[in-house]
Amino acid sequence: MKTDIIELVRGVGDLVTLPDVFIRINQMVEDPNSTIDDISKAVSQDPAFTVRLLRVANSPFYGFSSAIDTVSKAVSIIGTSQIRNLALSTAVATSFSGLSNKLVSMDNFWRHSLYCGLAARKLAKMAGKCDAEAVFTAGLLHDIGELVIFNRLPELAKETLLLVLDGADELPVFRAEQQTMGFDHAQVGGELARQWKLPPMLEECIAYHHDILAAKRYPREAALVHIANILALMAEVQTLDPGDVAPIESAAWEITGLLEAEVIATVVGETRADIAEAEMLFFGKAFSR
Amino acid sequence: MAILLTPPARLSLALPGFENIKRSWNSTYETVAARLLPGEYFVTMHDEAVYTTLGSCISACIRDRVTGIGGMNHFMLPISASSDSWKAAGNSASARYGNFAMEHLINNILKNGGKRQNLEAKIFGGGRIIANMTDVGMRNIAFARDYLETEGLKISSEDVGDTFPRLVVYFPATGKVKVKRLRSLHNNVIAEQETMYLNTIEEKPVSGDIELF
Repeated sequence: MKTDIIELVRGVGDLVTLPDVFIRINQMVEDPNSTIDDISKAVSQDPAFTVRLLRVANSPFYGFSSAIDTVSKAVSIIGTSQIRNLALSTAVATSFSGLSNKLVSMDNFWRHSLYCGLAARKLAKMAGKCDAEAVFTAGLLHDIGELVIFNRLPELAKETLLLVLDGADELPVFRAEQQTMGFDHAQVGGELARQWKLPPMLEECIAYHHDILAAKRYPREAALVHIANILALMAEVQTLDPGDVAPIESAAWEITGLLEAEVIATVVGETRADIAEAEMLFFGKAFSR
Repeated sequence: MAILLTPPARLSLALPGFENIKRSWNSTYETVAARLLPGEYFVTMHDEAVYTTLGSCISACIRDRVTGIGGMNHFMLPISASSDSWKAAGNSASARYGNFAMEHLINNILKNGGKRQNLEAKIFGGGRIIANMTDVGMRNIAFARDYLETEGLKISSEDVGDTFPRLVVYFPATGKVKVKRLRSLHNNVIAEQETMYLNTIEEKPVSGDIELF
């Protein structure tokens, strides 16, 4: 099964293009000899990303009190590993546009992903002891395996969705995938992250957002993305009743120390309030509705 | 002979005309559940569920609140040139299709012992699940409301419109309904099912004769 997933992900190599600026920053962040100056230079080589970076840095999303008008200021204030995540987060739509498919509109796909990213970031700030901005990126990317499956295995993917709709219980999609394909989108996404050499934290959150006890290095972040994914569904179908969506693993509350009663209404409400602005900020457009 | 209490043994006979509706044991609700596809309807006098998934289609859930006989339909008005103003046209082909779906359900309940004065109605669906498209769901909602009002049936509850598909599970014996709004991941598959159904009804217009009780 593992080899199936590896082959499946190899097949999309040409369809997904990570931004060069991300790859360059990624190498520099890993290299102890590189300086803020080196990273600022790498950022400046990509004018489009520079514009996006300064727009996000000056938006209410970060809420810095002073204006951030230069790249080096942005890099030193936001931090080098954060810049790496931003390079990825602000380019996901173009990076994955090669994985178009007939089963889900890209706007609907990214809206759910963005809801999850926003919710994960809020939860991370409440829970503490983790990097909220990195958890945002993890939430934004948690379902990328789905795009691979929809693009490469459209017949099986459709069979999976029909299986979900055929029952009165709304079988979770990842369970239906396991039945029809023998693996699920979380495993595929995790493999994609591994082949791309994404930071290990992102890889674990993507791979284990439906199986948080399997996350060994980043259980806290994986649990946050797991909760955020369900809260994103609640935001999407406009409910505050956990009975209306897939269940949240009780271990996720224990691992994060968050209390269900204290977070659901707040996070779902704030996420819904923030979505339109975040669409403009990270995707440069309002999603169709 | 010992009575078998295993679930399949509880699959009671369907009422005449509903033998082809797929029914199976549902462990969540611990009851037999009938699965409706677009264009189908189902009436039962047993303690069982009937469920369907709706995009822009609409389902009316109607029951006799005294005897518990009731059921569900699942339909939409065809989009033909003349159907834009089904109300003004009164007897347009598309309104005839909606009448057909509603009257089949109501007449079958009455035929099996339901009393018109005891009927209770609920409606679900009519979502706008494909962005930037004509709001066909709204036409279906308007039709269902108008139809029930004309028939003198009050709508006791509804969850209609907006942008999501729905899973509706109805229990005619008690009148209980479980509506689950579905995530947008399912929109395209549901829209495709509904388009296929729409193509079949547009090819085969229903005749104008409906027996009235």
